[in-house]
Amino acid sequence: MKKLNYVIKNTFINMRRNPLLVIATMLAVLVSSFLVFTTLSARAIVENNTSRWQNGVHVVIFLDDRVTSTAHKQLQETLENYPEVRMVEYFTKSEAMDEFKILFKDQPELLQEVDFDILPTSLRINLNNPADYKLIIERMEGNAAVKEIRASGEAIERLLSLTNTLVLSASIFAGLIGFAAFILIINTLRLTAYAKKKEIKIMRTIGASSTYIRLPFIFEAILESLIGTSIAVGLGWGFIQYSKTSFIADSIFDITISDSYLTNLTLILLFSTILFGFFASFVGIRRVLND
Amino acid sequence: MIRLEDVSLVFQGGSVALSNVSTQISEGEFVYLIGHSGSGKSSLLKLLYKEYSATKGSIEVVDMDVTSLPSWKIPLLRRKLGIVTQEPQLLENRTTFENISFALEVLGFDEKEINEKTNTLIELVDLENSMYKFPNQLSGGEQTRACIARALASNPLLLLCDEPTGNLDPDLSIQIISLLEKINRAGTTVLMATHDSSIVNRRKKRVLQLSNGKLVSDVEKGRYI
Ligand SMILES: Nc1ncnc2c1ncn2[C@@H]1O[C@H](COP(=O)(O)OP(=O)(O)O)[C@@H](O)[C@H]1O
Ligand SMILES: [Mg+2]
Repeated sequence: MKKLNYVIKNTFINMRRNPLLVIATMLAVLVSSFLVFTTLSARAIVENNTSRWQNGVHVVIFLDDRVTSTAHKQLQETLENYPEVRMVEYFTKSEAMDEFKILFKDQPELLQEVDFDILPTSLRINLNNPADYKLIIERMEGNAAVKEIRASGEAIERLLSLTNTLVLSASIFAGLIGFAAFILIINTLRLTAYAKKKEIKIMRTIGASSTYIRLPFIFEAILESLIGTSIAVGLGWGFIQYSKTSFIADSIFDITISDSYLTNLTLILLFSTILFGFFASFVGIRRVLND
Repeated sequence: MIRLEDVSLVFQGGSVALSNVSTQISEGEFVYLIGHSGSGKSSLLKLLYKEYSATKGSIEVVDMDVTSLPSWKIPLLRRKLGIVTQEPQLLENRTTFENISFALEVLGFDEKEINEKTNTLIELVDLENSMYKFPNQLSGGEQTRACIARALASNPLLLLCDEPTGNLDPDLSIQIISLLEKINRAGTTVLMATHDSSIVNRRKKRVLQLSNGKLVSDVEKGRYI
């Protein structure tokens, strides 16, 4: 334990040696970790929102009133027999009217003017996989009982693919910046090792183990990275907390993300950062401290 | 304490530093290793602390089989040895005191022990007046004594000194020798390499002589002609 004194003291002495490089490393790790943290959180938020929709109604078929209700029932049965369909709900004119009244209860003028008769009967379809909405549309085309089809799947699909593109491009940038951090660490450590060549030689002669000689370098790399990631994660949490109460939450959708997801993400990021620092220091001093 | 059996050292490229050296040194001895420049003295000392590995033969130092010692165990060997290299290796940006306490710090002593032991070592090598000076403010003899003090930090069983009087005038050389003899009397085995015959002849200790990498003589209370 006494021996750690030397290691910890020298970790800080080494870091003070190249302050600009150390700050650059921390910033690079910070940006990289922040990108990872925020985009993964964003994706989780989008997934939470879409999964809600996924439990809801995916396709609405408005029925033509000129066709008999027997035909409506038949259509419902056909739909229910499709393997992609989980549930079909028959929504009558009066149910549509009740819903309309609830939705627009704040606008009594509107309610007075509307001719409720134009509200059509509809089949509300819940799919096993919302992406299958196209199949339903294809099959229903030309059906005499169908007046109009609306699908929410399209919006979801677009949003998910947008999120995936976002995650992918952010990952690429995070990777590039992470690589820059990696190179910065290697260079910082090598500069220090070179400057301390004589000290290291003396330590070897005295009988210091190579692990002991390496530890300040390993600690430095891990500490720099951890500081970067910690700040990034802190900013990320703050950002999400802020978004929950901001206009984004009102205008687009609920910022629903569980604390356990964020905690796990944080822990995984911190753990990866330690591995990253360890690996970078390993590469950085492998050759330099070998003789 | 030291046993060499048929030890040879050939460098890559074929230059032979030592050939077929066999000898033994017991606990408590004071032994001079003499020979002209290039005769293999430094190489022999470096073999003892595994800075070099023998090409052939077997080496035993402080009850450790050095020849088969895996590299991760080299520190264990070195902690039992005090090593004073041919060129004084002092850190330029640290005082005498700090250069010595550095070794104790690396060896894992706590702060109180470091201060006590450093002061004791400084007293032993008589550097009280230079303890806050930096290496470039020290004379050659003082630098060597600082190196000896540092080498003693781990309470070594065996002290290896490579030409500690190398560039000192006779008076200062005698000072160093007296110091090493004092350390020897306190129980540390000492092996000192030198090419300075005048010292060796006066002190009447055991002398091992190397010539072109061969051990050519081994005399008790020796003289060096
Ligand atoms: N690292 C090395 N590589 C190649 N040859 C070496 C090396 N070290 C020493 N030698 C050679 O080994 C011989 C013995 O050198 P050394 O042990 O330094 O002698 P001494 O210390 O007695 O002056 C010399 O010929 C020297 O050139
Ligand atoms: Mg030599």
